[in-house]
Amino acid sequence: MVPPPVVTGISPKEGPPGTRITIRGEFLGIKAQDLIGLKICGCDCTLLAEWKSPNKVIARSGSCKGRGDIIVTTLSGGQGTSTVQFRGYHETIGPMKESAVWVEEAPVQSFAWGRRALSPTNYQQEDPLGLSVEGNVKKFPEDELFELYGDASGELTSEKFHPGMFLLQHHHATSLDDLKAGLAYLRRKVNSQKEGQLSFLKANVGSVMEQLDTIILLKDQFENDLKNYGTNPMEQLETAIKESMIEANKLFDDILARRDRADATRNALSVMHRYKFLFCMPINVERNIKNGNYDLVINDYARVKNLFKNTEVEVFKKVLREIEYRIETLREVLRKKLEEVPFSLEDQKKIIRNLINLEAEGDPAWDGIVSYANHLEKSIKTCTTEYLESESREDDLKISLAIKSNVSTPMSIKQFKLTKNEENNTPVKVQCIEALCDIVMEQLPDLWRLGQSYFTGQLHVTVDAKKQRPFKNLVLSSIQNAVNAMKASCDSSLEASWFLYSLKRIRQIYASLIHLDLPSDALDIFGKFIFELRLQCLVGLFKQTVDKILLLKCKETWEIEYLDGDGGITKMPLYFEEMVMEVSKLARETAIICGPREAPLLENLNHQTLYYNEIKATFAAFARCLQQLAFNCNEDIIDDEFTMVPQLTSSSTVYKNKDIKPHGLTWEQRLLISLSNIRYTLKVLLPRIEENLKFQGYPDLSTTVGYNSDWTQLKTLDTAVLNAYLERRCDPLVGIIEPNVYIGNLDWNSNLQIVHVKPYVQEILANIIAVHAEVRHVSPCLLERVLSHIVESVTEELARLILCISYRFSSSGIIQARTDILLMKKALENYCSPRAENFLDEALKAIPQPVTKEDAQKIDMILTKVTTLMQLQLSCLMNNIDNVNTTLKKIGYNQLTAL
Amino acid sequence: MSKKPGAAQALHKVIMVGSGGVGKSALTLQFMYDEFVQDYEPTKADSYRKKVVLDGEEVQIDILDTAGQEDYAAIRDNYFRSGEGFLCVFSITEDDSFQATQEFREQILRVKNDENIPFLLVGNKSDLQEKRKVSLAEAQGRSQQWGVPYVETSAKTRENVDKVFFDLMREIRSRKIEDKAASNGRGKDRAKRKKKKCIIL
Repeated sequence: MVPPPVVTGISPKEGPPGTRITIRGEFLGIKAQDLIGLKICGCDCTLLAEWKSPNKVIARSGSCKGRGDIIVTTLSGGQGTSTVQFRGYHETIGPMKESAVWVEEAPVQSFAWGRRALSPTNYQQEDPLGLSVEGNVKKFPEDELFELYGDASGELTSEKFHPGMFLLQHHHATSLDDLKAGLAYLRRKVNSQKEGQLSFLKANVGSVMEQLDTIILLKDQFENDLKNYGTNPMEQLETAIKESMIEANKLFDDILARRDRADATRNALSVMHRYKFLFCMPINVERNIKNGNYDLVINDYARVKNLFKNTEVEVFKKVLREIEYRIETLREVLRKKLEEVPFSLEDQKKIIRNLINLEAEGDPAWDGIVSYANHLEKSIKTCTTEYLESESREDDLKISLAIKSNVSTPMSIKQFKLTKNEENNTPVKVQCIEALCDIVMEQLPDLWRLGQSYFTGQLHVTVDAKKQRPFKNLVLSSIQNAVNAMKASCDSSLEASWFLYSLKRIRQIYASLIHLDLPSDALDIFGKFIFELRLQCLVGLFKQTVDKILLLKCKETWEIEYLDGDGGITKMPLYFEEMVMEVSKLARETAIICGPREAPLLENLNHQTLYYNEIKATFAAFARCLQQLAFNCNEDIIDDEFTMVPQLTSSSTVYKNKDIKPHGLTWEQRLLISLSNIRYTLKVLLPRIEENLKFQGYPDLSTTVGYNSDWTQLKTLDTAVLNAYLERRCDPLVGIIEPNVYIGNLDWNSNLQIVHVKPYVQEILANIIAVHAEVRHVSPCLLERVLSHIVESVTEELARLILCISYRFSSSGIIQARTDILLMKKALENYCSPRAENFLDEALKAIPQPVTKEDAQKIDMILTKVTTLMQLQLSCLMNNIDNVNTTLKKIGYNQLTAL
Repeated sequence: MSKKPGAAQALHKVIMVGSGGVGKSALTLQFMYDEFVQDYEPTKADSYRKKVVLDGEEVQIDILDTAGQEDYAAIRDNYFRSGEGFLCVFSITEDDSFQATQEFREQILRVKNDENIPFLLVGNKSDLQEKRKVSLAEAQGRSQQWGVPYVETSAKTRENVDKVFFDLMREIRSRKIEDKAASNGRGKDRAKRKKKKCIIL
């Protein structure tokens, strides 16, 4: 008894209906016929099952759904079990669904697992001996069979069938009895077939009779035909066929003709279609030209030329001629465009390339360059003339308005700019320069680049090296033109600031031109122009400063500032210094500074001289300004002046006066202040400025011609101002000495008791102290210079007066006179020039020596006494200010004790 | 006839993974039916189950033979979920298949979410030594990196075929015992498991 089948494996374990399933397990039937039932998920699939081996059955799933067992039933083992389950599902497979289903394409008969997987029912021939092949396990070795029978075959159907071989192959192990039985079986079979011949006829008698009838009918018909048509009916047949052919052809003639026409038309159409490109070309070309798609046109043209250049077809030739004509017009248009300008460089290049691509004659690139250069020149010219015109009509506003409305001129934008600028008060010349700059900036680089790309072959033309020189000349001449135009508008009538502005603009172009790699001679033209412009700028700037300095006098407030050791000055020198510094800085930063490819400005001696002259001019201007300030006095001050003189003795009044009207200074004070300013300028400012300029990189001033001999005219002014002051101060002072000496009928001959110096001495001293105070108030540095002059004049007058005394001195007169002079000498010793001392000595000599010893002693005594009394006055004339202070204290103390 | 497996009988679910053509089905069939198939027929998903004696205990092994072809990559997740142990097969004669094991490992870990899932790295076709492309050291290196055993098999000569299935089943069994213990004394054991994981890492 065989155990029941067990299914232990399925492949695959799931699938839609119709899935080919390999079922594996044990005891699945001992042969195909043994397998009598297969249920998958409850569906009977026996019909689709194919037994392979006791371990394997291949089946297809039925339309089952869900999980279920696989139950195999065999004759030998009965109903089986399953350890695995199959899952059936329905699946709609569409193009959008990923399919994991194995779509079986292989034939049912596969050679899986290397077995002969033949369905036994269909393909096994039954044994002719009627014997079962089962149990024929032991097979006769093939090699021996081959040896025995050669290439004979054991197959029943084979031509080389050999019964012996068959027997050895199939019934090698069959017993003789069985073979005999088989022989009997075979015989029986053969006999039954032999008997069958008669019985076959009997069985089919009806159809045999029918066949006979038909054959007889056929014979009758043939004989009949022979009678009717004779033995040879072929000719008749032939003519009939021919006739029918003609008739048939007639039927189709019309149709055929129509077909031919249709064919021809179709041919024509297809040709049209095939060469549509060519036939549409003229229209396309025209349209593209209109739209500016030159590249397209060129492309098409090239293509057409390539394809149909050597065509023999008349139609094509015609079309080609038309295209040629259109291209020619395009060439003309492009050429004109090239001449018209202005285009951007790219456009220009494009047009040139287009022309080249269109195989225009001549050298379109060169033409383009030339016309560009011409255009540049023309625009420069129009620009200049326009600006010149507008300048000449500058006053007439209406005309400028008319220009504004005149939009149709090519320079209308610039015109507009111009009118706009006019509102901003930009000088026309500057606008002109600006416009020229714009033109150069815009067009020159383009011209140059165009040339460059021409010579480097970027324009795809054969480069004519001979044209290098003309091109260079072209560039040079256009630059020269531009520069000339600019030069014309940059004349000296412009203000310095506009010069600077223009300089800046032109430098910008220069810089951009340098970047262009222009030939150096072209740049030099510009460089030279810039150099000139820089010089002009420098000169202009200094001129402007000179003008400003001349206006400085209005700014004078006469407020004194005290500087250590330099006395008091007003703001003027500082203003002046500031201006010079400012202008020098500005000039350095603009004109002097070297841009790229610029020569240092002040290297040339001539240019240095120019610069010196300018500096000199500024100083001279300052001197002139100071001079005007010193000598141009207001009327009301002059009025005041006289009232001031008697008050000189009281310095406090002067101060008071000053406090009340700070600007209403006396002329003397202003002279003094000017003097101080001049001194400061000469001593401090000039070296400082010189140092500063040197520091800023200007040439050394001290090497200037005539630097040492009053180069700035300040010294002359200094002297003039001093003299004026002295005149103003000395004259009254000296003038009142004589009346004062003889006030109260002074007689050197009288014999009065002498207790004090005479009042005139006191007066002189008081006056000198007043001057001293005045000068000191302004600038202590001036004291010596001013006072020595005054003391000189005073002593001279004194000496004159003493010498004039013709009568004899009395002894007390001698004492008095000597005391006076000695005191004077003592008081003024700080400010006595040798000459003044001389005068005093002369006066002393004129006075006889004291008569007695007592007199001499008396002089000494009085002197000591007077010195004590006049200590304040005397110490005023000392240089040391501390001295005065201590003296003041002492006096105060004395007076207090006296009280 | 009524030899249905008792409820007590253990069932170990093994899943074969690996690239196409490495011999997953061959291994399975060799193990199941002692036969070697030479013809290649891509598998979709086959299921096998039989009784075996594991260390004296009768258990059932359920083998899910999956498709190696990339066409089925999308449905792998579903299969993996039910697996208790994995035989990750590659062919020692094909480096690509070895490289692909990395992906399979990752996919399994992702689906199972368990670093310690019973897992064997199997280098098949060891009979084709002359065509070897993946060195033993290389494969062992990877297995050590993953912390899994590495076995070389031959479905043709049946070398190590039983070993890989039985080894895996043992792993699954010990794992199940461990899990049972874990479900008894919950938190404690879970911590233990985590701890173990850390050690491996």
